[in-house]
Amino acid sequence: MSIFIKIKINEKTCKGFSECGECVKICPVNIFDKKENRIITIEVNEDECTLCNLCLDKCPVDAIEIEKLYDK
Amino acid sequence: MRLYEFESKKIFQTNNIPIPKGEVVNSVDKIQTQTPSVVKAQIPSGGRGKAGGVLFGKDLSETKEKAKQLIGNKIKNFPVSKVLIEEHVQIEKELFMAATYDTTRKLPVVIFSTEGGVDIEELAKTHPEKIVSRSFDILKGFQEHNAREIVADAGVKGNDLLPVSSILFRLVQVFLKYDATLAEINPLGKTKDGKFIALDGHIEIDDDATYRHKDLIAELGEREEGQVKKSTEFEKKASEIDKMDHRGVAGRMIEFDGNLGLLIGGGGASLTSFDAIKKYGGKPANYCEIGGNPSVFKVKELVKLLLSKKGINKIAVIMNVVSNTRVDLVARGVVKGVIESGKKPSETITVFRIPGAWEDEGFKILKKYGVPYCDRTVSIDEAARMAVERAGK
Repeated sequence: MSIFIKIKINEKTCKGFSECGECVKICPVNIFDKKENRIITIEVNEDECTLCNLCLDKCPVDAIEIEKLYDK
Repeated sequence: MRLYEFESKKIFQTNNIPIPKGEVVNSVDKIQTQTPSVVKAQIPSGGRGKAGGVLFGKDLSETKEKAKQLIGNKIKNFPVSKVLIEEHVQIEKELFMAATYDTTRKLPVVIFSTEGGVDIEELAKTHPEKIVSRSFDILKGFQEHNAREIVADAGVKGNDLLPVSSILFRLVQVFLKYDATLAEINPLGKTKDGKFIALDGHIEIDDDATYRHKDLIAELGEREEGQVKKSTEFEKKASEIDKMDHRGVAGRMIEFDGNLGLLIGGGGASLTSFDAIKKYGGKPANYCEIGGNPSVFKVKELVKLLLSKKGINKIAVIMNVVSNTRVDLVARGVVKGVIESGKKPSETITVFRIPGAWEDEGFKILKKYGVPYCDRTVSIDEAARMAVERAGK
């Protein structure tokens, strides 16, 4: 589990993999994956988040939130 | 990877460069030649002749006697387990030729001289006019006419010009084909009947290119004990960590006996940092380059490995100003590695001096965990001094 980055997905607004899945396709460090049709994060990869924000740019419903835990 | 003479000659022969008849043996009993022979110790070093590693035998009995003197003994501090027995070729002239890299011009360079069989560095000092060297564009390659120009410029004329330049051309092709950092024939002998033959020579293959020559490396086999430094278990584990992920470099490790673990790197800064640590009386536990933006996982695992070694309780992280390595990602790896080792980052990391890309984010992480960090206003030398002071000598 990352102690630096926490990525949250709003499951209420997220359209899921079959309808969207843009975050899974765009993330350069494979943080996102699908479980059935749900988008999930692979916690061990969260450490590698480069803060490129491509997932934020691609998400059509702003369902992703990236939190820098060291900023607290 | 430096090849032995007999290995280099095998490659020469495969690439149509003439070599003397010979065989490599590891036991005197295997020697069969009746003709006058040269007995040459196979060690990964030049200057064997002066060190007594090249002997001559008139007949079978004398050749065996000379081989017996070499096998099992040391030449230039290298154990001799094999000797090359070659026909003793009578020659009337010796030439020098080599291909290597000019690290200043960052180009491959071909060197030729009509004064072979000598120390070329010494000749370059005493008679630089006798050496012709030409660099070439690696993308355009090296053509036969380039070889002829070099050989002609060195003063080779008449019937010798074509055969010598042909061998030079083939040597450069060997240099390129095998990703060599050096391919050398010294001397190339001219026999009394006017033929040219590679009497001695060696090839060094770029260690980073060995993966492109797996068949050759498998054929050559493992280097024998005593010929090269064997990796320690610690170094092997570090290398495995480096191979876990293609991103960046974090695991080329050399182990030392000290108590201060080092993560250092950046355009020569690893050597500078290491020397500075030593200058201030520090005792490095390792030399380990990091760079090229290694993944957080790799850095973390490397830190855990360092801290798993008995006697290492402190680490220093020092790099030059980085542009292609992210400061924050290294900071994450270092801090997490320390925490997963059951230690406190503030007490374990003596100094974190990596200025450069994403340093603001990196410094935020370090600040949160109480790690002493510094930016580019603090020199590598000063950071090393701080590390030694905090590590305790």
